Amino acid sequence: MSGGHIKLESLTKRFGDVTAVNEISVEIHAGEFFSLLGPSGCGKTTTLRMVAGFEPPSTGKIMLDGTDVGGWAPNRRNVNTVFQSYALFPFLTVAENVAFGMKYKSVPKFERNSRVAEALELVQLSGFEKRRPNQLSGGQQQRVALARALVLRPSVLLLDEPLGALDAKLRRTLQVELAALQKQVGITFLYVTHDQEEALTMSDRLAVMNHGRIAQLGTPEEVYNEPADAYVADFLGVSNLMDARVEPGGNGQGACRLRVGDFSLEAKAGQLDATGAVKVAIRPERVHLHPYEEGGVNCLPGMVERLVFLGSTTHIYVRLATGSALQALVRNEGNAVPYNQGTPVKVNLPAEALRVLPDPGVSVAEIRDEVLGDEPLDLTSAAPASS
Amino acid sequence: MASTVDESVTTAPRREAELTGRGRPRGNPWRRPYAMEGFTWLYIIWSIVPIAIAVLFSFNKGASQATWQGFSTQWYVGNQVTSVLHNPGLHQAVIQTLVLAVVTTVICVPIGVGFAIGIDRWRTRTADGLNVVMIFSFVIPELLLAVALFFLVTQALTFIKLGTPAEVAGLVVWNISWPAIIVRARLVSIGRSYEEAACDLGASRLGAIRRVLVPLLMPAIFASAVLVFASTVDDFVIVEQLSSTSNTQPMSVLIYSNVHAGLTGPALNALATIMLFLSLVAALIGYVGYRWMSRGERTKGNVDALAGIAGI
Repeated sequence: MSGGHIKLESLTKRFGDVTAVNEISVEIHAGEFFSLLGPSGCGKTTTLRMVAGFEPPSTGKIMLDGTDVGGWAPNRRNVNTVFQSYALFPFLTVAENVAFGMKYKSVPKFERNSRVAEALELVQLSGFEKRRPNQLSGGQQQRVALARALVLRPSVLLLDEPLGALDAKLRRTLQVELAALQKQVGITFLYVTHDQEEALTMSDRLAVMNHGRIAQLGTPEEVYNEPADAYVADFLGVSNLMDARVEPGGNGQGACRLRVGDFSLEAKAGQLDATGAVKVAIRPERVHLHPYEEGGVNCLPGMVERLVFLGSTTHIYVRLATGSALQALVRNEGNAVPYNQGTPVKVNLPAEALRVLPDPGVSVAEIRDEVLGDEPLDLTSAAPASS
Repeated sequence: MASTVDESVTTAPRREAELTGRGRPRGNPWRRPYAMEGFTWLYIIWSIVPIAIAVLFSFNKGASQATWQGFSTQWYVGNQVTSVLHNPGLHQAVIQTLVLAVVTTVICVPIGVGFAIGIDRWRTRTADGLNVVMIFSFVIPELLLAVALFFLVTQALTFIKLGTPAEVAGLVVWNISWPAIIVRARLVSIGRSYEEAACDLGASRLGAIRRVLVPLLMPAIFASAVLVFASTVDDFVIVEQLSSTSNTQPMSVLIYSNVHAGLTGPALNALATIMLFLSLVAALIGYVGYRWMSRGERTKGNVDALAGIAGI
């Protein structure tokens, strides 16, 4: 596969007074599955649209295999897009849709049919050539959109929430297929999603975005296990966030003492050299519940507020004596959960799982709001008339 | 399945009992709305019966427009002097109407479509202003435009001669809102993603418009062409002002002037029937054509602006 190396340098996009993308710099290697993850309005789609060529950058560079393509029209860039709405042409058959772009890529006529057949086979849609898009299911339409882009053998494939319109079960299946397909064709995938599960399962690396900036960049494991800040921790999966203060004079051996309300806890992960106010995070699957009579290190008293049965696991919502709420995840192994609503419990927060994060200066509730996303910005209408 | 049926059977009497209690509306709220249906039928009869009678008397054997004397097509073709076919005045009026309708449609629709694309795709303040102008023809009195155009072509733009050229110019101005508004409504409803997809796959801006946007707009273009055609056939005010000799009088003007001059007779009914028929055929073609062209999108269940206007 030819190239596919993307380098964004201080890429910025402003719509009037709104800065949708703010000085993003990131390097995406050839053949990588790279995701931009964030809530709606975080700038991920605008970034993708700038790489595709639908929006000109305000400042910054888009280097594609060493050339700045920022000012190029979409049809001159060797990148193709799979749209969220698929944008299949309704008046053309599946085969005609897939063949659409080959006219412009000087593919000889005799080769076009075999390329179409090849692409449809790649997405397991052989035999659907004569159908119209409206005769296909959502998942099938999504595959046609994929085939239509892949048939042109782009160096980069851009995917804008391609699974967003599908139901959960189909989405899971396609996640696996899409990741396998990417490895098979070896094309760089730049994938935009608000679904953290999608980003975690498919990506080689991902960037969590917030307010037009990259909050954290890394492999799925890094970003999930070692979130850089409270926002990333809360955005990826469920995270229990609490306000805490670092107590001076930690033992200096890879741990620090925290004060949470009236209780003292030991933490062994994250920013252990922090001082003053911090946020502390722990994943629900690392929280352990014990009967109230038991005690030990890093145990806080609490009370079960609610049990939510999720099939393979049960979420237990606990209200701590400090007043903050926590979730614990218990795997279902055939035994009934020995707690009910109102049961007093001891909540064990293992020091290795307690992660100290810098204090962003906002409350836990405000971080939650940010993670849930703003209303999607209608950026087209905010565009200045002069452009 | 069976259990839900049973449930409805058992709960029905209880629901009825609740509804007949104090403070509940009396009677069955799901009964047929007889009053509304009645008014609807009255309206339909009121609007259709006079037209039906006029059409009926165009087939009268005698010359009366009030007494039925048996069926005949003499006022269309049979009568060697006064039938639409043989009376040169009536004959010419049919041709003039068709010429005006076809020429106006051919000129009006491409301009209107271009207008719609321009206003929608290259958004500027001027475009927004022009969009308001598009609605003008729905608001300003037709007579005002007709008189203004009359002075324009007789005083200023004298190279546009009264008669067919002036009539076409007036009809194009009056009807351009149809394609502009209908096509624009569809542009808004189809959005930009198809064009972007085409550009993404390698098409230039113009290529995307030609290969993707125009086919997508085809149902709206066709429907607006039909509306322009039908509206031109029906037009009276503009063509009355801008026609010159009797040779350039379309059917509507001829019927009006004859009736005014007391020159009635079933041949005029025949002429009016032809006019009605032309409009109906245009509407039918429009309906069938629009359904056929947009068949690929039916599953979405989206009713766009045109479907709303035309009741399609």
